[in-house]
Amino acid sequence: MSCNHHTSQLSVRERLAFSSPESLERAYLQLRQRFDGCEFVILSTCNRVELYAGWDDSVQTELATRPSLRPLAQFLAEFHAVPLDEFVGELEERTDEGVVLHLFEVVSSLHSMVLGEPQIVTQVKEAYRAAELQQSCGPLTHGLFQAAIRASSRVRTETRLAEGRVSIASVAVGEFGMSIFDSFEDKQVLVIGAGEMAEETLRYLQDAGAKKLVVVNRNFERAERLASDWNGQAFDWSTLETHLGQADVVVSTTGSSEPIVTRERFQKATKLRPAGRTMFILDLAAPRDFEAAVGQERDVFLYDIDSLRQTCERNRKARHREIETAREIVRDEANRFLVDLKRRGLGGVVTRLREDWHTVSQQEMNRLFAKLSHLEERDRLLIEQTIERIVNKLLHPPLEVLKDEVASGTHNGLLDALKRLFRIAD
Amino acid sequence: MLNVSVFCFLASYAVALVLELVRQRMDSPASRVGMLAFAAAGLVAHTMYLLLRASQTHLPPLLSSAHDWLLVLAWLIVVIYFGLSIRQRGLAMGIVVLPAVLAIVASSYFVTMAPSQLMIDFRGVAMLHASSLVFGIGAIVFGLAFSLLFLWQHWRLKRGALSSPGNGLPSLEALARMNRWSMLVAVPLISIGMLTGIGLALGSAEQPRSMTWSDPVVLGGLVSWGLMCFLLIRLMSQHRSMGRDVAWLTIASCSFLLVTIVGLQMITAAMGSKTVHGLAKPIASQPARETGGAQ
Repeated sequence: MSCNHHTSQLSVRERLAFSSPESLERAYLQLRQRFDGCEFVILSTCNRVELYAGWDDSVQTELATRPSLRPLAQFLAEFHAVPLDEFVGELEERTDEGVVLHLFEVVSSLHSMVLGEPQIVTQVKEAYRAAELQQSCGPLTHGLFQAAIRASSRVRTETRLAEGRVSIASVAVGEFGMSIFDSFEDKQVLVIGAGEMAEETLRYLQDAGAKKLVVVNRNFERAERLASDWNGQAFDWSTLETHLGQADVVVSTTGSSEPIVTRERFQKATKLRPAGRTMFILDLAAPRDFEAAVGQERDVFLYDIDSLRQTCERNRKARHREIETAREIVRDEANRFLVDLKRRGLGGVVTRLREDWHTVSQQEMNRLFAKLSHLEERDRLLIEQTIERIVNKLLHPPLEVLKDEVASGTHNGLLDALKRLFRIAD
Repeated sequence: MLNVSVFCFLASYAVALVLELVRQRMDSPASRVGMLAFAAAGLVAHTMYLLLRASQTHLPPLLSSAHDWLLVLAWLIVVIYFGLSIRQRGLAMGIVVLPAVLAIVASSYFVTMAPSQLMIDFRGVAMLHASSLVFGIGAIVFGLAFSLLFLWQHWRLKRGALSSPGNGLPSLEALARMNRWSMLVAVPLISIGMLTGIGLALGSAEQPRSMTWSDPVVLGGLVSWGLMCFLLIRLMSQHRSMGRDVAWLTIASCSFLLVTIVGLQMITAAMGSKTVHGLAKPIASQPARETGGAQ
């Protein structure tokens, strides 16, 4: 059962989310009590809340009665104290092969809001580990999640789905910034303005090693707040030119309606700057904070939001071109998992059938040998071997047909017929 | 029986360059493997050629002739390029290094193959002279390559373009650092090479092939050496980032040095003039550049 960013609003998803380890622990406990004998994995991220449930045919559970969505939705409603009617229409249910394909696509980041983003693999692995810790996994979910993680690793290595950054801040720092500088560790970062984009860019800059941060803003209090959040220093707006002259990286995000740095102002601010010292300017404001002519200055690399957006779009398109290849890998892996699963299910039936037939033949032989007590040991052995061969030969054709059907995925009718014909209980 | 000619590895390197250019348009595993395979095949043929030349002249290739010395220089550059290409999948180094290799190998056709008596008489000092120059000029070629890549990357970034998988370039800062290190290695080695060369020629003053200051090879070498020293001082005095001006200066100095060292030897060889590296023979009078007969 899934409630995700394709089917529901954030306001619904956040009410149904399992946001803390404690709530997850309680949820697993209640699920086990409520649906005894079933296996569960809960995947709860900011974009999805999904419940994966599995059970053996021998387990008597209300989930077995289709649709199983209702009891699970009821559980969610009671657990989160949210009226069922408020969200039941935004849930979707998948069963059998549908579940396998869905999970494999989710973990391969084909369902992610940002196609190819890598965090989902970690989130799925963590969800699986948490379920394992809560002893909520069984043979079915173990096999399913391990196969899903394998599929995602194939997608990552065999396609370019995760290549190229797609958010403006990550493209700015990870692609343009890293093409200019080797490291940001010794670079002076100047942030002009204290907007949301500045924060996001600072996150990437600090991940890339930036340590020296200066914030200049018209509103000094906001500058101080941002600087303290990111271990930087805040300065008065009047010091802008001084800090501009010393900066290696500039991130500008003010709400000014006019450019705040004209070419003349820039030249004045950088008059004492050593020749050959590179400056990387990210003008993330709209309208722009830096006059476009500043980019014509020597050793200055100026990027505005439009040029960064173009790169994001190009990377996004490149990722989209990989979708079909990724889906083929997912289908291939899902098919392999399902065949393995069915073979495992078939294994029990085959063993039972062989055991039954050999038991019958042994009973009949014992009866025969009791009547023919004059037979020598050598003759008994020959008779035993002959009957064994007959049983094996009679069993061989139907079992081969069944194995072929399993491989092609259309075995259910035959398997049921076999169980009924030979009275094989699960 | 082995039959290796200069043309064998020249052609291999040329194909490797074509495949490197193809990778700029459409990167694929096949073009990369092909490029590496042709570079490796050229390197094997190149090594065999040098070994066979050494067995024929009974001298290490560094000392035997200007022809062999140039081929050792090209070999050294290809070895480093090959190592870098294997380590860094997307590095577009071949675009600038392979043309330099092709030019050096092709120029070896036009310089003397005759051993210099001076090199034989003063083998120890001659070895120091030849090896420091070969390593120094190898570093110069890489400095030139890094400067060209710097300008390419600078040009792309100014236009808001990024590297694609087939033509990945290091950051501007990394290229500037590599250029600086190339010059730091090259200038002292070339200085040793120049000084030992002068000492070597002066030490053999009685011989007919003694050095004269008007010798174009000596004169050109000294001028380019002076230029390289100026470049090193400029690099050391600059901020650690490298601007476009420094890249252009490096390209000009390195190109001048290469043209002087290789070009002047070719010109004097064509003219049949006597130089510090021996009497050059015009190409027509030299034996075919093919080494055969090793069994």
